[in-house]
Amino acid sequence: MTFAGTAAASTLDPTVVWDALVIGGGATGAGLLRDLARRGMRTLLVDRSDLGTGTSGRYHGLLHSGGRYVARDQSAARECIVENRIVRRIAPFAVEDTGGYFVTTPDDPDDYADAFPGLCAASDVDCQEVDVAEVLRRNPTLNPRIRRAFAVPDAAVEPWALIEGNVADAAALGSAALPYHKVVGFDRSGERLLAAKVVDVRSGTEYRVMAGQMVSAAGAWGGQIAAMAGAKLTMAPGKGTMLVFNQRMTDAVINRCHKPGDGDIMVPVGTVAILGTTDIHVADPDDWQITRSEVDELLDEGEKLFPHLRRMRLLRAYGGVRPLYDPNEAGTESREVTRAHVVLDHAARDGISNFTSIVGGKLTTFRLMAQDTADVVARKAGVTARATTAQEPVPDPHGGAKARYHWLGGRLAAHEAEGGGDAGLLCECELVTRSMLEEVLERRWPCSLDDVRRLTRLGMGPCQGGFCTFRAAGAVADHAALVTNDPVAIGDMAEQAMADFIRERQRGTQPIAHGRQLQEAVVTAGFQWGTLGLDSLVGTDARSDAQR
Amino acid sequence: MTIASVVEEAAHEAVGLSSDECLKCNICNEVCPVARVDDRFPGPKYVGPQAQRFRLAAPVPINLDGKPVLTPDRTVDWCSGCGWCTTACPAGVKIAEVNSRARASIRAGHRPRLRDWLISQTDLIGRFGAPFTPLANWTLHNRLFRALIELVLGIHRKAPLPLYAGRSFRSRFKRRGGLVGRAGEAALPPPDRAVVYFHGCAANYYEQHVADAAIAVLERNGFQVIAPPQECCGLPMISNGLYQGARTKARRNIDVLAEYARLGYRIVGTSTSCTHTLKAEYAEMLDVDDADARAVSQATWDICEFLLDLHEQGRLDTGFGRVDQDLPYHAPCQLRSHGIGLPALDLFALVPGLRAVDMDHDCCGIAGTYGLKKEKYDTAMRVGDDLFRRIEASGAPESACDSETCRWQIATATGRPSKHPVEYLAAAYAAADAVGGAAGTSAGAAH
Amino acid sequence: MPSADVAVIGAGLAGLLTAVRLAEDGARVVVLSEGNGTLHWAGGPIDLGFAPRASDAADAVRGLARRRGHPYALLGVDVAPALDWFLQLTTDLGLPHAGSLDGGFGPLPTGIGGVRPVSVVPAAQAAALEPWAPGERLVIAGQAGFKDFWPRAVASSLARPEVWGGFSRPARVTAVTVEWPGLHERRNLNALRIAEAFDNPDWRTAALDITARAVASTGPGPVRVGLPAVLGLRDHPRALDAAEERLGAPVMEFPLVPPGIPGIRLHDVLRAKLRARGGRLLLGERVARVETTRRKVTAVATTAATRELVTHVGALVLATGGIAGSGLIGEPSGVIRETVLGLPVEGPPIESWLSGDPLDPGSLPIAAAGLRTDDTLRPVDPGRPTDGPLFDNVRVVGALLAGQQWMVERCGDGVSLASAWRAAASLSGAAPKRRATPRRAEAVR
Repeated sequence: MTFAGTAAASTLDPTVVWDALVIGGGATGAGLLRDLARRGMRTLLVDRSDLGTGTSGRYHGLLHSGGRYVARDQSAARECIVENRIVRRIAPFAVEDTGGYFVTTPDDPDDYADAFPGLCAASDVDCQEVDVAEVLRRNPTLNPRIRRAFAVPDAAVEPWALIEGNVADAAALGSAALPYHKVVGFDRSGERLLAAKVVDVRSGTEYRVMAGQMVSAAGAWGGQIAAMAGAKLTMAPGKGTMLVFNQRMTDAVINRCHKPGDGDIMVPVGTVAILGTTDIHVADPDDWQITRSEVDELLDEGEKLFPHLRRMRLLRAYGGVRPLYDPNEAGTESREVTRAHVVLDHAARDGISNFTSIVGGKLTTFRLMAQDTADVVARKAGVTARATTAQEPVPDPHGGAKARYHWLGGRLAAHEAEGGGDAGLLCECELVTRSMLEEVLERRWPCSLDDVRRLTRLGMGPCQGGFCTFRAAGAVADHAALVTNDPVAIGDMAEQAMADFIRERQRGTQPIAHGRQLQEAVVTAGFQWGTLGLDSLVGTDARSDAQR
Repeated sequence: MTIASVVEEAAHEAVGLSSDECLKCNICNEVCPVARVDDRFPGPKYVGPQAQRFRLAAPVPINLDGKPVLTPDRTVDWCSGCGWCTTACPAGVKIAEVNSRARASIRAGHRPRLRDWLISQTDLIGRFGAPFTPLANWTLHNRLFRALIELVLGIHRKAPLPLYAGRSFRSRFKRRGGLVGRAGEAALPPPDRAVVYFHGCAANYYEQHVADAAIAVLERNGFQVIAPPQECCGLPMISNGLYQGARTKARRNIDVLAEYARLGYRIVGTSTSCTHTLKAEYAEMLDVDDADARAVSQATWDICEFLLDLHEQGRLDTGFGRVDQDLPYHAPCQLRSHGIGLPALDLFALVPGLRAVDMDHDCCGIAGTYGLKKEKYDTAMRVGDDLFRRIEASGAPESACDSETCRWQIATATGRPSKHPVEYLAAAYAAADAVGGAAGTSAGAAH
Repeated sequence: MPSADVAVIGAGLAGLLTAVRLAEDGARVVVLSEGNGTLHWAGGPIDLGFAPRASDAADAVRGLARRRGHPYALLGVDVAPALDWFLQLTTDLGLPHAGSLDGGFGPLPTGIGGVRPVSVVPAAQAAALEPWAPGERLVIAGQAGFKDFWPRAVASSLARPEVWGGFSRPARVTAVTVEWPGLHERRNLNALRIAEAFDNPDWRTAALDITARAVASTGPGPVRVGLPAVLGLRDHPRALDAAEERLGAPVMEFPLVPPGIPGIRLHDVLRAKLRARGGRLLLGERVARVETTRRKVTAVATTAATRELVTHVGALVLATGGIAGSGLIGEPSGVIRETVLGLPVEGPPIESWLSGDPLDPGSLPIAAAGLRTDDTLRPVDPGRPTDGPLFDNVRVVGALLAGQQWMVERCGDGVSLASAWRAAASLSGAAPKRRATPRRAEAVR
């Protein structure tokens, strides 16, 4: 990711001594920022990229009821259901109340279903057996041969709105979050970290950030941060691949009622449905691929729930890396590693008094993870205030007058209420208007179109940016003109935005490039290269032979 | 989407899933006649496969500030259901069908607007009006009454309404000894010597002459005509989102027609709208697609399609007399949805002297009941404007069209009559008889 | 069940050209297409071929013809006569084109601020073939808020010399944003709606006045005016003339994302020509099955409501357009399926369908997948090319022909032209000519 042209100077004030520095802008980091701020600690959060680009931005979209864990990990299940209720209460705008079902397919054992309600009850997870015919009536694409169905309070949760809301809450109390600020080292003196060395990746400027406490919420990258601090921490990142389908073939979360395995959950997330997932250990959280055989495997499993899955439009494949922590510090099989979260006090472990790491966990329990971590950090800082994050609502970043659950049709209804029509729609697939885009550019400049995507859903529909990339680049040029008069710089920024976005969207197409989505890719490439001469704008060193 | 239809091989053809095929290429928007003239309508791509992703799979109301909301959008209501989008889509998205279902969703759970309910009750309107033909016609074509109707019901004062023509076709047909019973009620001629005639509401109450012409042509070619008990095909109800009522009609029609279909009789209709409903819309829109429904669907033919098929087999009586006439011809949208080409034009080519010209216009605007509505009338007239001008400019005394509502729209707008293609074929046969001989050979009577 | 001498499957450029040529020769032609074709996305230029080191299109064609397996290896010689015919045809139909095989390339700016080489273009883009004079400026004018054309972004990109490559370029590039009458109030606006507005002479006059004033405000001196490709649909020739006259400068239409108005114009005139010659174009007809006898196709059945429309044919032309046109489908198993006859396809393995840097136009090797043919464009088995044609009365035209990287080589339209030319000649030679006008009924068969 590069930034062309004039990048605005970082808003970081190096003279400030923060009470705490949080490294990592995923859900846990944002939750921690909010929690510490509410305890009166002036906190700065930094992330090497945009907020929510780590695991939080690449997970399944599921707010667990806990039903998945009732058989093997009761405490995890219990944590899930408690936090599920809290998140619904404090941040309903980020949650779509889809409900969920555990269903028994012909491939699933009856004894698991028999035991399921009891196991749920033991973990306090609401569970109700329901009439299969009714479930099939509402979800006609489900396997008609399912035998039993149990309703649970699963829901879909949107991570970026959640993160934004947490950050906004903290900002109102004088704390701050800075994306595109990468920690590259620490200044250490004896037992204490005095400062973090942070680089604004957009401009290359380096800063020293002084903070009383240093907390790593860097997830799968926790080991790298710890190493910079001189601490030993081995992560066992577990890659999970997910498949995005063009439409919601189900409006409820559908789980297989069996021992948890690959490809056994379908989650409706906004306008799409996401099937997941796999679990493959990777050595480097920044270096991994999605293979076609993984895709095939997922489709095979998914077909057990939705027999016609292979005929449905597959938009892209993406992966995320679970921040699994390996307490044995040796490379164990990913599935064996605990999914529970662990707060690591590096004072005891590594003799660094003011450094703490949070590892493991899942997005559903982000608030609890943040609270547990904040308890340790506050104690070390001598702060006695207690957490209030479970009680107080998270502000809705879209300023909804009345915070309510997210509704799939909300964006379309709002658009029609304002007159409707396609004139102002820059991304037609996802109904992203020109003013929505401009508002994000205003708030986050300088930023990439991928950043805009996270906050608006630009390019996340069937055309995968084929049409809207250029419209968005046009909007970028118009916005750039507000900060510079230099047409070359403006052109640069627009082209860079275009190029980066096309490349990013294409990453998700390659593993699933067949059928209609392959055609979509060829059609859009046809008018991008053929009609519109994109090659004259975006440079690449890898010119094909045909052009020599 | 029914469970049954999803698990079958053809599941992927199911309307809801066909949205998956969309390439976002905009071709549908380019051919949409309504988007062409009305800025209120965002176009088929927007209200079809695009908006579909924002609608829940099953219509379940959301509680929004205490009000139950079923669907997020309204602008799909401007879609006329002409079907051009589906025809022109290179990827096979059944856009018009997606739109129709969305319109039905908007109405589900609400009481229908009186007007929409009323104009869908074509059987009732026909049955109650016909006995009072002179009064009914006077009322419905009196300016004051029409202004009142527009005010109260929302049917535009200038909307083209047909004229009642006294006794219904069925009643006359029964009187002259036509076969009108269910299969098995009376001795029937074998299926290769008889066809079932689906006359539809128009031929029954307003255009009996179309039915007469059709019967004359069919009998000329050796087919006795059976007109079993039948109701409105239900299309006006489907178009107005009244799916429950439409399903009732569908079931009743299928109940009678399936018996004939299973015996091998073909079901021939003179309305491209009715026949398309029987062929496709019961299944695609109403999810009525059991074995009986499929039997009826597969036995259904548009009359020109049927006659042309006879001709391809060498069994059509081509002894047409001369009909010297320039004839502008409009192919209705509903005909294109059949996907059978332009059989009327091919039949016209067999009639000496008949110079038929395809007007090559997308839509006359009426789109069934769409153009009757006060808020849509202007749009409908703008959609058809080029067609009306072209017909007027041709100088021809009449025009031809296979769909009744189109004929009424065109006749009203151009001030000259519009007839069903089969009427010209009947006239050509009559012309041949008048000169006492055939210009060509007569194949039909032989068998 | 209707019959035709030739059924052409696919209504893109190759399909329509083949159909028109056959109809001109007196054949009864029907074009069957699932929907409207790829012409509806096209931006205007007729791409015959391009290579960075080629001096002109003819040179590029020769270079590609030397490549083993490229369609030009067979069809290169047909490009010139096909192009002559096309240029005459489009001129007769009121849509004249400029340029030639040996006239060299010119830079055509596009709706995203890029520049692409062109050799043959419709009149509205002819200015792209003229070198820029010293001091000559480019003024780009666009409707405010029209989401498919952003004048500032376009002008900013075009201000960079590298974007023009080695071509001559304007001394300066300026953008003006205009408000054409009533458009800013519209809730729905795309290139087609604006083009339809330009068909109205009164509106057009007002819009051009506004534009002329805006262009004049950029200062004196010679200019060319760049506009989005929206200068009328049915009345385009008059709209173009009016624009050049009122603006007092050459005008260039920049191609946009679909809907491609220049392509639709070409589609419309070709379709009108086909109809005038007694041919038919039927949309909504997807091939369900084909009836064959030994090595001859006898009928093609297309999807119709509840049954099929069966067309008995003397010959069949496959103009279904490769992956982009749905003529080929890439199955997840790695098989590339040809969708009409199931003919064997030559193409890369699935791992290479999309590969390399997505910002390289060569990163879609799948685009070169297609069918192999003999010299008369009859399909052969790529694995056994010398075994003879798989069908005697089938011809393959356009993007469905294997071996062309049309995105990189810019040869797609040339292949369409040349293959249409050759296929029509081959079929006309074979089939007996019949009158195209409606005829009286024949005697009982």
